[in-house]
Amino acid sequence: MKTALINGSPKLKESASGCILCDLKSLLDNGNHVVYECSFRKPQLSLEEMKNLAECDVFVFAFPLYVDSIPSHLLNCMIQLEDFLSELKERDIKVYAVVNCGFYEGHQNKPAIEIMKNWCVKSGLIWGQGIGIGAGGMITSLKNVPMGQGPKRNHGIALKQLASNILSGVSADDLYITANFPRFLYKLAAERNWIQSAKANGLKRKDLFLKK
Amino acid sequence: MKMLISDLEGRELQGLLLDMSSELTIISKDFPIHHCTGCFGCWTRTPAVCIIRDKYGDMGEQLSKCEELFIISQCFYGGFSPFVKNILDRSISYIHPYFVIRNGEMHHRRRYDNVIHMHVWFYGVNITDIEKLTAEKLIKANSINFNSVVEDISFYNSITEMRGQLL
Repeated sequence: MKTALINGSPKLKESASGCILCDLKSLLDNGNHVVYECSFRKPQLSLEEMKNLAECDVFVFAFPLYVDSIPSHLLNCMIQLEDFLSELKERDIKVYAVVNCGFYEGHQNKPAIEIMKNWCVKSGLIWGQGIGIGAGGMITSLKNVPMGQGPKRNHGIALKQLASNILSGVSADDLYITANFPRFLYKLAAERNWIQSAKANGLKRKDLFLKK
Repeated sequence: MKMLISDLEGRELQGLLLDMSSELTIISKDFPIHHCTGCFGCWTRTPAVCIIRDKYGDMGEQLSKCEELFIISQCFYGGFSPFVKNILDRSISYIHPYFVIRNGEMHHRRRYDNVIHMHVWFYGVNITDIEKLTAEKLIKANSINFNSVVEDISFYNSITEMRGQLL
C-alpha cells in the first residue's frame, strides 16, 4: 500500500501541517507501507506530481484553515487533480484530511472538511476521515512534546486512530479535537506571541491596532 | 461603499451589472494575483496591509470602507472559486490578530467598526444539494469571522441565469 502525505501549507518550513504529518508518518511505519511525501505550496501541480499521486492508494491532506476553508493555492491544486484523476479509469483512492485552525475549537474546521468530502465525490475518490484540530497555533511550539502527552494528549489519540484507519483501509466518522490546554491561557499566549512578533519587526504593541 | 468581488472576466461581468454606479468598487481578475503565504505580515509587520504588493494588497482597507459586499463566484465543492478565495485569504488584515470569545467560540477581534452586509451568488453547473448546504455553512462562518451580516445566498446554474437578477 502506498500513502501520499500531502502538506497543503504554503509555508516552506515550520508549518503545523508539517508537524502533524511528521507525527502521523511515525505511526504509519510498518513493513508493508510506502509513504510518498509531497508539498502543495504553489497553485500549480506538475504532471509528474499528479502521476506520482495517481499511483497511491491513499491521500492524506494536512493543511491550515484559511478564512473558514481551504487555502486558495491548495484549492487550485485540487481542481487540477480532479481534472487529472477523472481521466483515469481506475481510481480506488481513499482520502483523509487533517485540518488545523488557529481558533481553539476544532469544530471550526467543519466547512473545510465538508469541502474535502465534496471534492472526493466530484473526483470519484472515497472519503476516509476528517480530523479538525483546534489551537493550531501551538502545534509547532510543541513539536518536541511526545504525541499523546500533556497538551498533545488529544492530538495523539486522534492521530493514532487516523493511522489505524489508514493502515486498515477503513472510513470513519470525522473527529474534532483541541489541545489539552485551557482556552483562556491559549488566548493569552497567542496575544503575547503577536506582541513579540511585532516587536521583532521593530513595532510596538499599539501598532497591532493600526487602521488604514 | 459597495464592493463587488467576482471571478468573472470583464465582458461577462459587464453583461450582468445593470447599475454600474460609481459607488461600486469592483475586485476582479484584472491583474496577476499572488496567493497568501500565511506569513501574518499583515498583522505583525505592516499591520492592516498585506506585505505582498500586487494590486490586491489593500483588501483590508477596502473592506473597512465597505457597507455592502457582493460576491459572485463559481461554486467549487461548496466553496468559492480559487480567485475569490484568494481575495478573501488576502483580506485578513481587515481583522485583528487578537482573539475574542463570540457566541461561546473563539474568533478574531474587530480592527474596524463598519458592518458589512453580504450578498453571495454562486454559479455553476451541477451544484449538488450537499454543496449548497456546505456553501451556506461556509458563508455563515465567514460572516461570524468578518463580523458581517448575510443578506442572501443564491445559486445559479449559469452566468446567463444570473442576468437581470443582480445589482
